[in-house]
Amino acid sequence: MTRYAIVADLNRCVGCQTCTAACKHQNATAPGVMWRKVLDFEAGTFPDVRRAFVPVGCMHCDEPPCLDVCPSTATKKRADGIVTIDYDICIGCAYCAVACPYDARYRVDEARPAYNGKGKMRHEAVREDPARLGVAQKCTFCVDRIDAGIKAGLVPGTDPEATPACVNSCIAQALTFGDIDDPDSNVSKLLRENRTFQMHEELGTGPGIFYLWDRGREGVVPDQSPEFVPDPVGLDRVSPRLQKNWDWRAAANFVFGGAGTGLMLAAALDGLVDGPSRLLLFLALALVGAGLLCVWLEIGRPWRFFNVYRHARRSWMTREALAALPYFAFGGLGFLLANEWLALIAAGFGLFFVYAQGRILHAAKGIPTWRSPRIVPLIVLTGLTEGLAALTIVGPLVGAGASSSVYAAAMLILLVALRLAAWRAWRHGLEQEGVPKASLRALDASGLSLSTVNQIAVVALGVASFVLPGLLPLAGLAALLTGWAFKYRLVTRAAHTQGYALARMPARGGGKAARGIKPGWWRAA
Amino acid sequence: MAEAAGKDSEKIVSYCYQCVAGPDLLKVTTQDGVPTMVEPNFSAATIHPAGGKVCVKAFGLIQKTNNPNRILTPMKRTNPKKGRDQDPGFVPISWDEALDIIAEKLNEARSKGLLDNSGFPRVAASFGGGGTPTAYMGTFPAFLAAWGPVDMSFGSGQGVKCYHSEHLYGELWHRAFTVSPDTPLVELVISFGANVEASGGVCGVRRHADARARGVRRIQVEPHLSITGAASAEWVPIRPKTDTAFLFGMLNVVLHEEGLSRLDVPFLKHMTSSPYLVAPNGFYLRDPDSGKPLIWDLGRNAAVPYDTPDTDPALEGEYTVSGLETGPDDVEWHHRDIGCRPAFALLQSHVEDWTPEWAGDICGVAPDKIREVARAFLDHAHIGETIEIEGRTLPFRPVAISLGKTVNNGWGGYECCWARTLLACLVGGLEVPGGTLGTTVRLNRPADNRWSSVTPGPDGFMHYPMNPTKKGEWHSSSRSRHAHQTLVPLAANSPWSQALGPTHLAWMMQQKGFDKLPEPTRPDVWFVYRTNPAISFWDTNAVSKVMADFPFTVCFAYTRDETNHMADILLPECTDLEGLQLIRIGGSKYVEQFWEYQGFALRNPVAPPQGEARDFTWIATELARRTGLLEKYNASINKGAAGVRLFGENFDFSLSEDEPHEVEEIWDNICRAASAELTDGKESQGLDYFREHGFRVDRFPKEQWYLYPALHEQGLRFELPYQERLLRVGQELKARLHEAGITWWDRQLREYEAMPHWQDLQKIWEDALEKGFGVKIDDYPFWLLTARSMQYSWGGNVGIQMIHEVAGNVAGHGGVVMNPEAAARLGVGEGDMVEVTSPLASTKGPVILRNGIRPDTLLMLGQFDHWATPYAKEHRAPSMNALTPMMLELTDATGSGADIVKVRVTPLGGRK
Repeated sequence: MTRYAIVADLNRCVGCQTCTAACKHQNATAPGVMWRKVLDFEAGTFPDVRRAFVPVGCMHCDEPPCLDVCPSTATKKRADGIVTIDYDICIGCAYCAVACPYDARYRVDEARPAYNGKGKMRHEAVREDPARLGVAQKCTFCVDRIDAGIKAGLVPGTDPEATPACVNSCIAQALTFGDIDDPDSNVSKLLRENRTFQMHEELGTGPGIFYLWDRGREGVVPDQSPEFVPDPVGLDRVSPRLQKNWDWRAAANFVFGGAGTGLMLAAALDGLVDGPSRLLLFLALALVGAGLLCVWLEIGRPWRFFNVYRHARRSWMTREALAALPYFAFGGLGFLLANEWLALIAAGFGLFFVYAQGRILHAAKGIPTWRSPRIVPLIVLTGLTEGLAALTIVGPLVGAGASSSVYAAAMLILLVALRLAAWRAWRHGLEQEGVPKASLRALDASGLSLSTVNQIAVVALGVASFVLPGLLPLAGLAALLTGWAFKYRLVTRAAHTQGYALARMPARGGGKAARGIKPGWWRAA
Repeated sequence: MAEAAGKDSEKIVSYCYQCVAGPDLLKVTTQDGVPTMVEPNFSAATIHPAGGKVCVKAFGLIQKTNNPNRILTPMKRTNPKKGRDQDPGFVPISWDEALDIIAEKLNEARSKGLLDNSGFPRVAASFGGGGTPTAYMGTFPAFLAAWGPVDMSFGSGQGVKCYHSEHLYGELWHRAFTVSPDTPLVELVISFGANVEASGGVCGVRRHADARARGVRRIQVEPHLSITGAASAEWVPIRPKTDTAFLFGMLNVVLHEEGLSRLDVPFLKHMTSSPYLVAPNGFYLRDPDSGKPLIWDLGRNAAVPYDTPDTDPALEGEYTVSGLETGPDDVEWHHRDIGCRPAFALLQSHVEDWTPEWAGDICGVAPDKIREVARAFLDHAHIGETIEIEGRTLPFRPVAISLGKTVNNGWGGYECCWARTLLACLVGGLEVPGGTLGTTVRLNRPADNRWSSVTPGPDGFMHYPMNPTKKGEWHSSSRSRHAHQTLVPLAANSPWSQALGPTHLAWMMQQKGFDKLPEPTRPDVWFVYRTNPAISFWDTNAVSKVMADFPFTVCFAYTRDETNHMADILLPECTDLEGLQLIRIGGSKYVEQFWEYQGFALRNPVAPPQGEARDFTWIATELARRTGLLEKYNASINKGAAGVRLFGENFDFSLSEDEPHEVEEIWDNICRAASAELTDGKESQGLDYFREHGFRVDRFPKEQWYLYPALHEQGLRFELPYQERLLRVGQELKARLHEAGITWWDRQLREYEAMPHWQDLQKIWEDALEKGFGVKIDDYPFWLLTARSMQYSWGGNVGIQMIHEVAGNVAGHGGVVMNPEAAARLGVGEGDMVEVTSPLASTKGPVILRNGIRPDTLLMLGQFDHWATPYAKEHRAPSMNALTPMMLELTDATGSGADIVKVRVTPLGGRK
């Protein structure tokens, strides 16, 4: 077998960005897009300060999170370990971009010349590639060079013509490319003879860039986790940053999708008493539809949206989209026929839909607040809670009998309590395992949240409604708004990337290695 | 080489010499005739010291060529008023019109005489980047040579941004225009702010990366953690401009705490001036018959001339001797039975008080750290060991000290260079494998390689072409406005000397003349190429005003910029990838280019020029033709003014002198001569050969990296530790200047010491600023420094979007780097806008917080503050250049100043 990888010697790298520039030449990337770049790290406080330069890009992981999530199968992994993107089928949903813990993926929606307002330079015109607009793009390990080189009988990593441009260009010989499955290869030798780490090893992605941090392998090195530095100085470019790939449109899908499917269930159950309210069923359908419409508006290649169905085997986005089909079919029939049983079947698919939404976030390994396993029950419970909450608000207006009953109030109280428990578990998990501090700040920045105080207030309103039934819609409204606000905030504000971290600050020449750094991260002591 | 690279695509060879650390070789891919991509030239992998690689700057060349902001037609100014606030009103004109206007001005100047009433050349020229523009200006040097005297003293960074003291003292002591460790063999490097990972080019970076992979220990001593500091084993955050004390502390440890037994005694005795006996007036005691300096031979127990065979010279002790002492202007003292000590013994006494405790207080460094560094220096010196280099056995001393720009520039430069070179001598590590090496010569001649320049001079030392200081020989005026021949003996008088003079004096004298020097005059015609002194010099506001006052300025212009804003004519020449030229490569050259080959490389146009841009050689030929200098111009080319002499023992490819020649014809002949030169006339392939192969080389002996064998063979010594010659020159210069009534250079004359004393450099700066600007220096609590950026340095590439983009990955660009503790005191945070004010001027920029900087220090990376250069002006990046004054008080004896100033910071509110 062949497994191509890059070995980056942090003792050698000087952060000159020659590889960054060479990559831009080879791949004609747009201004601001750097498939390869070198980070500038600093650790410690004056006068005990270390600085290191770290080349990053697509890690061509053994277990690429981008591959699993891709709904269109545009992202593939070759037998030689190279992760590729088929620009012709990618829908530009950017799910892979939020799934990548290495911030390696870009989406460019329109061709931007390097000099704004001056038109394209002639080399930009010659090399422009419309196929790359609106879709995901990233480092390819210069796969075309490798393939052409092999075809010409050359050896990748040894012959420049068959080697990635960044590696060729490296003036410090810090970058080496080769086959780590070949024990005699240049990279295998480096890995054998030096101490190495991979970035974010704990995520289990098996990244294909190995960092050398000390010469030789003699002696035992104590385990040492990198230092969490919640408020780093001067490290904005390497610390977790707010993801921009998914904006309010993606958030709307979670907000409306959850409430819509929840409402479908609540309305169907309500219908078991006196027959369903068609208006409620319509609303349940409309909410989910609106969410999907919003997300459709966000994708880079909207007219290819049917490609979302190409990856049912692994992508929860595909599964979500699949669940939407019977949801609309049965829900629509239920609406047309005013049939609660059809609505109930639709609600079943709706439940799967909202579960898929939870799994979508969980699979987004690039966003620590999303990827927690505790996000799944939280998302499901928010959907159910907000659906019931919607029922308690709208139900009385449309004469839905059960919507103002004590049963509804009790159920709302129960769901709010469960949602709170799920939220607390999720939040506690983040604090224990570590989380970008900026995400926590963003979560706490709004008063309209799922905080314990807020939710006790909601529960109190619910309890009060036993005495004053008129308060139930108010309790519902509070439950609905706090849930929606939370999800909106989760997707658009408390959505910081993994950032970059160093397991060790490298030894330089005859110097010693030092403890690594995880800038921007905090965890409970 | 042009090679197929796919459909409608080919690869064309060229070179990159945008920075002083080049040249390096590259290939450019063109697609449909459009240059699209740069890559290393792996065809040169075996002959180029860094495997045929080029650095990030070379990758900017595609955008540079295709940049929509390029000037693509000749332009003339329509607004006669000049100044930053004036719109030049440039309008396109034809080449004919542009060249006719220039020729008319040149012919008018020539008719009045090549020199003006003050004796200054009427034509001046400024080129940037440490001589690199010559690799892009084709045959223009031949035009200048044909013209006659040209004033090159209007500096664009020379003297204020260079390694000035190192250039001058380095050439004097070991033919070291710049100094480098023998990185491939070294074990320990102590680097005082030398930022080789940013300024050493691909060869420097590669050599040091290889060294680190071997486990070399580099200790970086500097106020901020530079790229090089990052790549070092250890960072010692020293107070700005206190490196002298650290180095002197090291000398104290080595000479007193450790002592002679740990030094390379044979080297000191036989390869240095250490045993020379020093007479009471500070000059050597000499043999009255031969005039040779005396040493005390422990074997004979008698004083003998230094070159007496089979001696065992004394280094320590005092001896009763008789002899002759020769002072300035050949004044003689005859001594009988006086007590004299060897220079080494004087050195021991000289450094006695500079204990690590003393130094530590000054440097803000623990005394034991200074001890540790000094002892490590000795521990790694391997004294007594040898190594074989190409069959020759040489001493092996793998320790070296590097000095950065602000360390060896301006006051303190002499002390630091002296201490560094002396420390190398003490362990026998000067110019030997593993040790401290020079790279090239620029002031000494011949310049083809360093060995050739080793010729015997006085007293067993190498010859040095000082500007004369003796009565009747001294130049009371210079053929330059900065008076380099008058004021700076060490600047010598080679073609490079003007660049090594006190260039800021040329700008200063335009504002106010110097007493007793010729009346200041403006050049009738000023040529500017590949430089932007309105940005890159100091006190850029003043420099801009001066150039606005020049009557006729011709800028070879790439885009509009702050200097050509004041121009009368803009000429668009082919840029790097469009012009044709052959240059020399190989041998040994700064910054760390140590080749095992030497020869030539071609800059082969990769595409036709854009717009009306023309090849520089065509422009030079046209100027020669229109000024009636064609014959002289062609003759100059024939004599080698374009880099290669066109005739030799076995070949003659001279151009006919009476007619203009096409660009390709000229370079074809030059290529043929180059081929012949490399093959002793056996082969004579021309342009086609170089277009196919890109370069042509022959072996360069590796042993010539080291100067030691050249001196050893001629029985010469390194002129250290004692500077008797400089002491004499200084006293003679003082006499000449005083005779001429010039006393304003007296402070500089104090630098001419046989062994330098310590000066409180921080206080010199503080006092000068306080006095010069009438301020309270306590109001300016920070030291402002700058550092080179590999992405930008010397590149003239601030207008290149891709360079800006990738440079953004390196912390420090575009703002004011500040320690968080200092920022907290000021109440500012990351990205907050601040005003940084020196006693001279102020600039604005966002705060960039980094822990790797002293709390008393600020850093502004690179040189920015652009207001006219397209694209760059949008970024409003701060620069220290406008804040740094040009002051005589801050000018050292070599005529340089240091890139440092005191500032205060005012929060402005808001963020960038």
